[in-house]
Amino acid sequence: MKKGKVFLGIILGIAVAVGLYFVNRYWIAPATTSAAKSSSDFPSAPEFSLTSLEGNSINLQDFRGKVVLLDFWATWCGPCRIEIPGFVQLQNKYGGQGLRIIGVSMDDGPKPVRAFYQDFHMNYPVVMGNDKLGELYGGILGLPTSFLIGRDGRIYAKHVGLTDVSVFESEIKELLAAPAGHEVTDFRLVGYTGSRDIQVSTPAEVNSVVPGVDVSKLTPAELKEFENILSKEKCACGCGLSVLKCRQTDGSCQMSLDQAKTAYAKFLKTHNG
Amino acid sequence: MTRPLAASLLFLLAVGTLCAAELPSVVSVRTVLATNAVHPGTTAKVAVVAHVEPGYHINAHKPSLDYLIPTKVAFADMSFKVEKVAYPRGKMKRFVFLDSPISVYEGEIRLGAILKVGDSLKPGTYPLRGKFSYQACNDHACLPPTSVSFETQVRVVPFSVPLKPANAEIFKGIGFD
Repeated sequence: MKKGKVFLGIILGIAVAVGLYFVNRYWIAPATTSAAKSSSDFPSAPEFSLTSLEGNSINLQDFRGKVVLLDFWATWCGPCRIEIPGFVQLQNKYGGQGLRIIGVSMDDGPKPVRAFYQDFHMNYPVVMGNDKLGELYGGILGLPTSFLIGRDGRIYAKHVGLTDVSVFESEIKELLAAPAGHEVTDFRLVGYTGSRDIQVSTPAEVNSVVPGVDVSKLTPAELKEFENILSKEKCACGCGLSVLKCRQTDGSCQMSLDQAKTAYAKFLKTHNG
Repeated sequence: MTRPLAASLLFLLAVGTLCAAELPSVVSVRTVLATNAVHPGTTAKVAVVAHVEPGYHINAHKPSLDYLIPTKVAFADMSFKVEKVAYPRGKMKRFVFLDSPISVYEGEIRLGAILKVGDSLKPGTYPLRGKFSYQACNDHACLPPTSVSFETQVRVVPFSVPLKPANAEIFKGIGFD
């Protein structure tokens, strides 16, 4: 009986700790981070170069000095479809002030996207996305996912899920008001779909044999040794795989990424003295 | 009282150890047969029972809009050949992102399939493998199309061994006609 009470006490203690963690993560933390912060905390938008449906080359670098709304969407996604007429309006209304919207379709092929583009009178370029581009932008877990990039090339907001056009409009106006190349030090998120938890990756990290970790500086022998270390370490996420396998099969797993980065830092320290 | 509490805690702990940004697994699938075994050269009924996580829906096999990705079941054609797959009707449901209701599956859904057992199969146990493909959304976002694999073991017995009915409750609601 006494043992049972102790067990229940331990379980309750864990529950309270876990509960506090979630309350902080999903409630308190977002509320406090919605306040203004320095743009140096905002990651630079990863560069990409893709061809639009119309055959034009779309290089993000060419949009520097503009405010960019980068929208990951798909024709089979109802919430994505309903947002698009609003984006067409925003492009019309703020295009002259420097807004550029880029659609990134996550459809398997361009055929349905072309039809949609015509039907919805889209007035901004759409490129066909891929997993690598998604990984550069931290992994696209749900659609629609939209990123708001300021004139200085930094990502100020990420919106996941159906978002009212008025939310985008408020944030776009704020970013448009900043002179080119200047920080938007007092940028404030609007609405509840926005997030400041913006993770981005470099091409070297995305294309790595240990996705998420830039191993390009290792010699072939060192790389093999590092892979061996990761293949012997079990992923903490509970998938039953090694850290290496977990990284290679699920690029979105944060736990295996943290483990791989820790192991890499340790590996470098050992090898570089 | 302590059981639900313990279950909730286990759930919380499980969530806490999941990969933070991992795609949620929205559908789980199990497969059952209408009999305890099958005879070679005959047909067998199999049910695919899928559970869609609360808060999510997947499109019905015949979605009401042409751009929606339908739910499909495919069997690996090895020892058993698919003669028919019977999908349930979807539930018409309205969402904030659409003007009209759409046909979706939510909660538990049961699909039936009639399989032809290979004529030359010797008595023994054979795997029946398949894939349940779907595309899920909740009220404000969608997940990419994906599939979940399933596998069950089918016991093939000679005609001298009579078959016993099994899982009658599950098969009751499946319209094979």
